Amino acid sequence: MERPEGIRVVLSRLKNEPVIANLGLATFDLFALGDRRSNLYTWGGMGMVSSIGLGVALAAPERKVIVMDGDGSLLMNLGSLATIARQQPPNLVHIVWDNQQWGETGGQPTHTSTGTDLAAVAKGAGIARVASVSSLKALEEAVDQAMAEDGPWFIVAKVEEKRRVPCPEVMIEENLVRFRNAFD
Amino acid sequence: MSWPEIVIQSLKDHEVNIIAYVPDVVTWRILSKLENDPYFRVVPAAREEEAMGIIAGVYAAKKRGAVFMQSSGLGNCINALGSICIPWRIPLPFFISMRGESGEFNPAQVPMGRAVRPILEALGLRYFTLNQREGLEKVVTEAMDQCYSHLLPVGVLLSTVLTGGKLGTS
Repeated sequence: MERPEGIRVVLSRLKNEPVIANLGLATFDLFALGDRRSNLYTWGGMGMVSSIGLGVALAAPERKVIVMDGDGSLLMNLGSLATIARQQPPNLVHIVWDNQQWGETGGQPTHTSTGTDLAAVAKGAGIARVASVSSLKALEEAVDQAMAEDGPWFIVAKVEEKRRVPCPEVMIEENLVRFRNAFD
Repeated sequence: MSWPEIVIQSLKDHEVNIIAYVPDVVTWRILSKLENDPYFRVVPAAREEEAMGIIAGVYAAKKRGAVFMQSSGLGNCINALGSICIPWRIPLPFFISMRGESGEFNPAQVPMGRAVRPILEALGLRYFTLNQREGLEKVVTEAMDQCYSHLLPVGVLLSTVLTGGKLGTS
């Protein structure tokens, strides 16, 4: 599976649920595949997307909140998994597009390329509802279950990095204003 | 009111009800009260940077939150301030319990304690220092008003002169 295919699967299951995308490739792909008012793109603060998503989930408990993280970024903020586990937000769906590389800095292999198992880390941190998928079909099943049942959910999707989309125009402040207004 | 009560009242006055923190002895005098107050949702973080990210997310979902940490923790969240909170213009009050000042016994706490103000200045962020009980309400209110009118993070430094520090009892 490639990340854009996976993102398409997730988007096909959403109505107006907030999605917070990791800086770099997840943000570029999400923008290209389906810019929408409930998308929040991050442009800096590597590793922070899981924490930002937790904040959105705590502040908006009535909505499912989807985080699209990356392996390199999550490796920088593994503590956030323990913090999420401690809070147990039932509405948080944390998806990691694991391409086993720092994709935005030249494709250097990350620790998941040498055996670090982020799903096991999440379980060990105290998140019970964990899935690790490498096919589109398995991703569809995991996302359907995560959207239907209480979490917090943690889904690692192993992806192959083949194609790149160009970086969209940066619009940080407008993006946040648009995202916030979706909470009226 | 005691200084912790003044801070808590100011949070309520500004409708700040989600609190992310990494604890220390001084801020715990506020946080332990928040933990037992149903107005607040209190979120312990494993690292200060997470706390910044969480409260940025809270604001993105149209609610308000604040961060509590010790001065050494500011070093753990500089990039979250510079790369998330400032470009997004997140009004985020962050309360820093100061180490390395009057009464400090641990030399390892001095460099970061002394660096807090220059770091905030380098980021272009405003900060207010709570030095004494007299007039405290005014300073806290000004800090919070600045934060939500200017839409940027604002630091509130809890000096050891006010709090008594780690070893103090005031």
